[in-house]
Amino acid sequence: MSEEKRAELVNITIDGIPAQVPPGTNLIEAAKTVGIEIPHYCYHPGLSIAANCRMCLVETNKHPPGKLVPGCQITVMEGMEIKTQSQRVKDQQRSVQELLLLHHPVDCAICDQAGECRLQDYYQEYDYKPSRLDGPKWMKNKRKILGPTIVLDQERCIMCTRCVRFMKEIAGDPVLGVFGRGTREVIDVFPGKTLENNYSGNIVDLCPVGALTWRDNRFRARAYFLSATPSICTGCERGCNVYLDHFQGVPYRYRPRENPEINQYWMCDVGRLSYHSLHDDRLVRARVDGEEVEVEAAAATAAKRLAEQGGRLAVVVSPVLSLEDALAVAALAREGLGADAIYVSGRPAGEADRLLLRADRNPNRKGVELAAQAFGLQVRPFDVLMASPADRVLLAGLEIPGDEAAFVEWLRKAQVVVALGTNLSPLLDAAHVALPLAPHSEAEGTFVNFQGRAQRFLAAYAPRGGARPGWAWAARMLRDLGQETGWNSAREVFMDLGRKLPEGSLGSFDWDATPRRYLKGVVPLPGGTVDGRPAGMRELLPLRSSGTAA
Amino acid sequence: MRAAFISALIVGLCVLVGAVLALFYIAAGALGVVTGALFGKPYIGVAVANTITLLLVMVMVIASLLTLAERKWSALMQDRIGPNRARLGLPGLRDKALLGIPHFLADGIKMLTKEDFVPAHASGFLYTLAPMLAFGTAFVLFAVVPVAPVVSASEIPLVGGLAASMGVDPFPVSLQVAPGYDPGVLFIFAFSGVAVFGTALAGWASNNRLALLGGLRGSSQMVAYEIALGMSLVGLMMIFQTLQLEVMTDGQNQGLFGGILPAWGIFLQPIGFLLYFTASFAELKRPPFDAPEGESEIVGYFVEYSGMRFGLFMISEFIGTVVLAGVVSALFLGGYHLPFPPAWGVEEWLRSSVGEFGLAVVLGTNFVLKVIVLCWLQLAIRWTMPRFRFDKIQSLGWKILLPVALANIAVTGVLLLADPSLELLAIVGLAEILFIVGLTALYPKKQPASLVLPGRMMAGGTGH
Amino acid sequence: MASTKEIKRTAEETSQLSWYQRLFVPEVIRGLAVTTRHFLRNLFGGRDPSPDFAYRKGSLGNQVATLQYPEERAPYPVGYRGTHRLVPREDGKPRCVACYMCATVCPAQCIYIEAGEYEDDPIEKYPTVFVIDQLRCVVCGLCVEACPKDAIRMDTYQHTPPEYTREGFIYPIERLLKGPPVSYPSDPWLRRKDSAQPQDQHFPLHGVAAHSTEPVEPREPYPAGRNHPAPPVFTEEEVRKASGS
Ligand code: SF4
Ligand code: SF4
Ligand code: SF4
Ligand code: SF4
Ligand code: FES
Repeated sequence: MSEEKRAELVNITIDGIPAQVPPGTNLIEAAKTVGIEIPHYCYHPGLSIAANCRMCLVETNKHPPGKLVPGCQITVMEGMEIKTQSQRVKDQQRSVQELLLLHHPVDCAICDQAGECRLQDYYQEYDYKPSRLDGPKWMKNKRKILGPTIVLDQERCIMCTRCVRFMKEIAGDPVLGVFGRGTREVIDVFPGKTLENNYSGNIVDLCPVGALTWRDNRFRARAYFLSATPSICTGCERGCNVYLDHFQGVPYRYRPRENPEINQYWMCDVGRLSYHSLHDDRLVRARVDGEEVEVEAAAATAAKRLAEQGGRLAVVVSPVLSLEDALAVAALAREGLGADAIYVSGRPAGEADRLLLRADRNPNRKGVELAAQAFGLQVRPFDVLMASPADRVLLAGLEIPGDEAAFVEWLRKAQVVVALGTNLSPLLDAAHVALPLAPHSEAEGTFVNFQGRAQRFLAAYAPRGGARPGWAWAARMLRDLGQETGWNSAREVFMDLGRKLPEGSLGSFDWDATPRRYLKGVVPLPGGTVDGRPAGMRELLPLRSSGTAA
Repeated sequence: MRAAFISALIVGLCVLVGAVLALFYIAAGALGVVTGALFGKPYIGVAVANTITLLLVMVMVIASLLTLAERKWSALMQDRIGPNRARLGLPGLRDKALLGIPHFLADGIKMLTKEDFVPAHASGFLYTLAPMLAFGTAFVLFAVVPVAPVVSASEIPLVGGLAASMGVDPFPVSLQVAPGYDPGVLFIFAFSGVAVFGTALAGWASNNRLALLGGLRGSSQMVAYEIALGMSLVGLMMIFQTLQLEVMTDGQNQGLFGGILPAWGIFLQPIGFLLYFTASFAELKRPPFDAPEGESEIVGYFVEYSGMRFGLFMISEFIGTVVLAGVVSALFLGGYHLPFPPAWGVEEWLRSSVGEFGLAVVLGTNFVLKVIVLCWLQLAIRWTMPRFRFDKIQSLGWKILLPVALANIAVTGVLLLADPSLELLAIVGLAEILFIVGLTALYPKKQPASLVLPGRMMAGGTGH
Repeated sequence: MASTKEIKRTAEETSQLSWYQRLFVPEVIRGLAVTTRHFLRNLFGGRDPSPDFAYRKGSLGNQVATLQYPEERAPYPVGYRGTHRLVPREDGKPRCVACYMCATVCPAQCIYIEAGEYEDDPIEKYPTVFVIDQLRCVVCGLCVEACPKDAIRMDTYQHTPPEYTREGFIYPIERLLKGPPVSYPSDPWLRRKDSAQPQDQHFPLHGVAAHSTEPVEPREPYPAGRNHPAPPVFTEEEVRKASGS
């Protein structure tokens, strides 16, 4: 760090540890730079400062002695000494905790937040005293339905107003407000309004307690059972960074993962709900002419039929496939089957909105185009595909933008249709060979978003049944066509084929920059369970990751 | 309450035995009359009838009840109740334990209906022959055992009249299959010797090496004890100068010391008694000498047998128990004679009050009771003693029993020469008994030093 | 420290019988005396059928210790952990709120729960599926300890009865929900009728609820310590009677 640069920074000490931070940084963020956490509820880096929870109060030397100041609101000054451990601060933290818990129902037993609840964590760290309230607690609405996606438990709310601020400042849809005063203060929607917004899910993440719950997976899983895997939302071409929370091979939810360049701290409800297709109506067994067959036999049949059938070949690649899958399929099309063009299918476009959601609902259109380019394949739009009949069709991904029935009719005219798909679809009726594809929850890979940013995602759990990643199918078929590929992982595919990509097309992307595991630790448990769950890992999820609510 | 019930049961059992024996006499007499009238040889009928009544009815019934008794008695010795859960599904009996008797019926049904398994490559004929040999040899020994004394056919109710009406001369009837059979005791030795074949064949014919080892253990054990078995009775043979069991039985009724002591074998030959009892136990392969089979621990020579074939092995063990009890009571415990000093004249008094036939029935009942008590004693020994190690079995047989038996013969011979009236022999015998009783009573209070583990050793790691 | 030689000699000695024991006969007779004593006592003495078999007193010294199960059953000690029951509320619904605490703590992983949502109950979460695999259960009682709602108890004083199939040991909620109901004054269903805000609630400092326009009767003041009442304890008879078994 150069001397000039250093001059722009402000020198402070936090609990005796010196630090330099840019001017304007608040005390919470400043303390974070030296690894000290100032507890806070209402502060969120993505929202305006409300300073109403009073949990973050600290002592400094720039304020009158004995006066506590909110760390979220006060910004650093040159020579500031911040004390986060003084007795006065601790007393204050304990008092705030006690006050927040005074009328809190503490029904953690039925609270979906239990396990990732700030109130629970801070109680353990800063309070840890039995309640002194010996009487009935004030009761409020426990099941206030705010809209199609959100339920509010007013009793659990600690009035941090994060939700109110988010709806006003970020979503731009100010339907939430604070009503009443004192003990009876509640969050509610304004009369006559409902909370219907494409970003409503974020207030569930924002809520530091279990007051706001997401109706989609309410009561479906305890948070502390879930493992988190860094992943990418496939809802649209923005490619929001998310955690995929799953337990024993079942996905339960997406949570946004902070990335200031793409989605900051947020994601939209469309994407948030898209995890269902990872689990529901999956194609899990390879089929040949309607008969279930083993993985190897299916790949061999597909390769043989595609190679032996002459005539016009149509390779249709869906931009939901990862970059590695697309590269491998392109290799198969070019080197195995001798194609000279691919048709790009994909989900039909939808409405864009002003924040994150984009009209193109496919996560990897750029990636597929790059893959085609790498192999010198022409990229043709889906519309021109049905202009003339094809004799053999390789469908990589079953998402198509047009009329499904018409496309099925068109497929029926072909002699050989090999379809790779993640989910059951009417298209499979016309496929002679159906190969189950592992979606991004079950495979590793890369998506290239509309800005051309390549982003890695990790496999959360093993592929279901006979499902395999697209590159693995392509590798098998190439081998059956007499070309040994030597690919054993998505990484090897990328290292092998990524070199063919146009120079600099992925910027400074480094495949290995993403660590393979984000987990803090595992707690192996012996034996299975009553319902036949396999021997389990109860993994710890990354708690309180920077910037997000919990 | 229960004591009264049990006592009544025992008295009832005695009466039942008496009645059954009376029936046996009548049956033997009747058949004797028939054969006497037809062929002029009444003893054929008597023998046939005795074969059926004594062997097939009495021995078989006692032996099969012993299978149950073993479980019930061992239960009582071990503070348990024993089997009592099998029920007869008959009206009125549905909820009655019936002293556990349904259990042995169920056992029989189980044996008969179980799969009759023959292992692959088993030698078929020998495999089938082995249990028969084991069963038959045990069974046939009872032929020479006298159950009740000789009475004239004319004394037997019904039979006397029948004989007179059919013109058959009175003939002697006794409850013994082969009365007046000269080899007597030698017959027992001979067939005990044949029993070895059953064991050895079973082990060999099963085509199972573990069974073969069991059979080898069994036959070597039986051979080892056969000699002691034979030697142990030589003394008695010399004393009574006969081989026939009924003659020995009657010889024991003579009074010694002026009739105050019956000349029972056990008083004259206490060592002979111990030797014979021990050797016979080993011959039977019953615990504590059950190293050849050891039901729960060692794979025995009949491991490959199932169903009734196995049943034959098992029942032959119990028949052997009954036969041993019969022989011992006939040789050493005065047979069917009452356990009173002859000087008291109890038998004469009975003869005069209930007649010759009545006396015979009472004596026969007495014999059966002695047999039952001896059976009980054998089971009690079984449930008291732990199993001998196999090398200990062999050394007991060769190194202890055999020399002691030889010494016993020599001593008996000398004493007999010195005093043919048997009284010296009785004095020595009583002294021996007293010695043993005294030894038992004077049990050293202190633990034998060799059993105390020194504390140092415990600390040194042999302890916990 | 004993010398090696000394130890070896002692070990040899211990494997030897004393001269007295090697006579066999006296020892056999003494053993027979013991066996016979037991035999006669138990043959003639009457058995005491008291289920407290450790303290039986049979007549004539009968010592038979057999327990004629099932006619005679040993009394379970106080606090015996019997088969589980899910404790019902007065209205027959389970107290359980499907919090998974028991399933989390269970070392045998034999509890499986699926949660559902009541629309109109003071507690909106309840178990739609609650299964205990009694074959896997190690009867540790940790589930009872873990339960924050006193919803699962092992106070039935019954052990798991036999079944003909393995499936029979997997107890569904219908089999588990039994016994006398339990409620505490702090239980929500005694304080409110559904999950909406009660309009008549009373708080010492505040008076009645703000949104209420109706005057309401002030309630009895709450006795001290009612958030931590002692749990009611049931005897075996009460459990039997209430579960109809
Ligand atoms: S918000 Fe937190 S403290 Fe409150 S009930 Fe839920 S988990 Fe418990
Ligand atoms: S509902 Fe949650 S986010 Fe909103 S004010 Fe209450 S505690 Fe804060
Ligand atoms: S008693 Fe123990 S093993 Fe059984 S269900 Fe409860 S916690 Fe699991
Ligand atoms: S711990 Fe109690 S309340 Fe929670 S699921 Fe188990 S039984 Fe139900
Ligand atoms: S975080 Fe500063 S007052 Fe809430």
